[in-house]
Amino acid sequence: MDRVLEVGGCAAGYAGRLFVHAGGDVVSNAVAAPAWASDLGMDAFLHADKRRIEVQDPALLAELAEHCDVVIVHVENAQAAQALGVMEWQGCVRVVITSFGLSGPKKDWRATPNVLLAMGGYTHLMGDADRAPLTLPGHYAEFQAGALAYAAANAARFCGENDVLIEISILETLMTLSQFTTVRWHCAGEVRGRHGSDFWYVEPSELYACADGWIYVNIVPQFWDPFTVFLDRPELAMDERFTTNDLRMQNRRVLHEIGRKAVADLTIDELAARAESCRVPVGIVRSLQEVLDEPHLGERSFWYQVELEERSVKVPRPNYRIGGMPGPDRQLFPVEYPKRKLQS
Amino acid sequence: MTPVSGPLNGVKILDLTHVWAGPLAVRFLADLGAEVVRVEAPDGRGPLVFPSTPLGGWISGPSSDEPWNDNALFVKLMRNRSSVSLDLKTEAGRRVFLQLASCADVLVENFSARVMPGFGLDYEALKPINPNLLYVSMPGFGQSGPLCNRVAFGPTVEAFSGFTQMMGYSADEPRNTAMALMDPVSGTNAVAAILTGLRQREVTGEGAMIEMSLHEGGVGYNGPWLVDTQLDEIPAPSCLGNRHPQIAPHGVYACAGEDQWIALACPDDGQWRSLCEFVDVGDAEWSVAKRMDHHDEIDDAISAWVLQYSKEEAAARLQLAGISAGPVNSAPDMIADDQVADRGYFARYERYDVPMPGNPLRIPGLDPSEWRRSPRLGEHNREVLKDWLDYSDGQIDALENDGVLADRPPA
Repeated sequence: MDRVLEVGGCAAGYAGRLFVHAGGDVVSNAVAAPAWASDLGMDAFLHADKRRIEVQDPALLAELAEHCDVVIVHVENAQAAQALGVMEWQGCVRVVITSFGLSGPKKDWRATPNVLLAMGGYTHLMGDADRAPLTLPGHYAEFQAGALAYAAANAARFCGENDVLIEISILETLMTLSQFTTVRWHCAGEVRGRHGSDFWYVEPSELYACADGWIYVNIVPQFWDPFTVFLDRPELAMDERFTTNDLRMQNRRVLHEIGRKAVADLTIDELAARAESCRVPVGIVRSLQEVLDEPHLGERSFWYQVELEERSVKVPRPNYRIGGMPGPDRQLFPVEYPKRKLQS
Repeated sequence: MTPVSGPLNGVKILDLTHVWAGPLAVRFLADLGAEVVRVEAPDGRGPLVFPSTPLGGWISGPSSDEPWNDNALFVKLMRNRSSVSLDLKTEAGRRVFLQLASCADVLVENFSARVMPGFGLDYEALKPINPNLLYVSMPGFGQSGPLCNRVAFGPTVEAFSGFTQMMGYSADEPRNTAMALMDPVSGTNAVAAILTGLRQREVTGEGAMIEMSLHEGGVGYNGPWLVDTQLDEIPAPSCLGNRHPQIAPHGVYACAGEDQWIALACPDDGQWRSLCEFVDVGDAEWSVAKRMDHHDEIDDAISAWVLQYSKEEAAARLQLAGISAGPVNSAPDMIADDQVADRGYFARYERYDVPMPGNPLRIPGLDPSEWRRSPRLGEHNREVLKDWLDYSDGQIDALENDGVLADRPPA
């Protein structure tokens, strides 16, 4: 079992969460920062079953690190990492997550996730063409960096490494996870832009309002014929305007109009049933409450309970299970005075 | 093909992935030094003649003589691995596959839930011939449950995850990211899962089934909101456009020039005070709550100031004052960024000198100068069958003559 110390922001918290689910003994020295959810929401998700301390003295943290197998640190920039002294800590696998990395002309730039998503090429692609681009809400950037930090630390431990410094830049993480933004520019000479919810290169791909909600259709070419049945417009399969994806792209406005009209008066339940019987890629826009109530997730034992002070909440497991075993329920411990932790 | 140097040297992986999430996961493992053999159907990369230009264009430029090898989006995901093109519908092809599986440490596939059982090649079929195998399955909705046979792609799964409800200009104007966001979530977490599995195997001495779900990856990243949804005393999470529930100002603002933008945020009082020093946005002593109340007028003031500058200049000025800000980068901006260039992030190892996204994991001993280009279809048929299975040239010739091994799509 790895003994893990996590320090700083929620990228480290996410990595620590994965260590907990792998059976690790995790001590969290999380630093509060403005989040997209409440403090309790973040804590229940990230920090259940971790022992929690509040230490600001870098020397004390260095001492704690010496007794760990793995240390994950998430700080804003290289200057903050330097101030913490993590590069000099010894005797453990250290993963340092910063916004821009530990070197380079912008290593000390300041950045919130919306800034990193902008610089990493995401924001340019999201939202409507004639309006401001949209940022991603939530903690995608940090959680992705945290998942990779966890993987990197395990890779080092797997090959027997006990004293190594690993560095992760969130900006580079985002650029690594871009779909075809840069290759399309280099290879096709086209700057990918934003088109609302329309994926643009595969048609139809769009969000349609129905009688009691929204659906998202993503009709890659092999699903065009069954999609016409889904719309209850089978004659469209023979319509010369739509017989290939290129033609559907050329006629996208007409096609979307047909799609919108076809589903406008139908309910989510009716459309879900049709999608299943026609076997077409159609997504139902779920509210957060509907996600919590989703029978599919319940049947798969996706949730575990986290005990808070006077109640318990459902929290999602990681999206992998090894050997078929769902994890146990967990508990959120209070932040404790550090001396007690050090003594143990 | 010798793997690149890295902590996963000695780990053998069979790659049966396609589209994005699976290949992305395997690329990370290959970058970390695993020996990856990609097993592909002869038509797995598409037909001899493509009906249209693929999403990422051709790596060879405006056209391609070998479209199945030149699809830039595919090529981007395929470095550092070998390719064996095998017809699994033949008995001989199936036999070769089972032999490869018998000496692999990890098999990764992201077909829909019923494909591998349909071939008789699911975990239960492979476990008897290789009890040490980690078998990774990454379908859209997992291997069980009422939705498991639904057709799933990243954008449709995003809708199911609850994320689309939170993304958009307002609650009445939701947007899908149209970026298949669930795929990279699943890809990175697959790497985490496989590393966990490899380490657990060191303890147990046994392989295992690693079951994943694209859907659960997306739902998982919404975890904090899902907890808040259960807490009566906390307002229900809602779509805020470019604003933030705990930071003000927080937004995207137009700069000089067409479709040029900057992202900016003041996550603490210090950055707010710095902003107040050179932009007339409000009272430097305003708390976050007060700044939330005045967000519209603050946005107006920032917009007026930002509009005087290019996005790069505005970001540089704000950063000099210690404020979180950065340009909204397009593809050419990303590649030209001095930070990225200084750290050698984009790598030029591929054919036609196309720069490819690098690896964000900076681990001592990893060296991008060792990286190898994407293999051509079936490029390593002979090499892998000799190295892994001790096949003779005669045996391999026979498989080629029978069409079991291929190096181009069928006519």
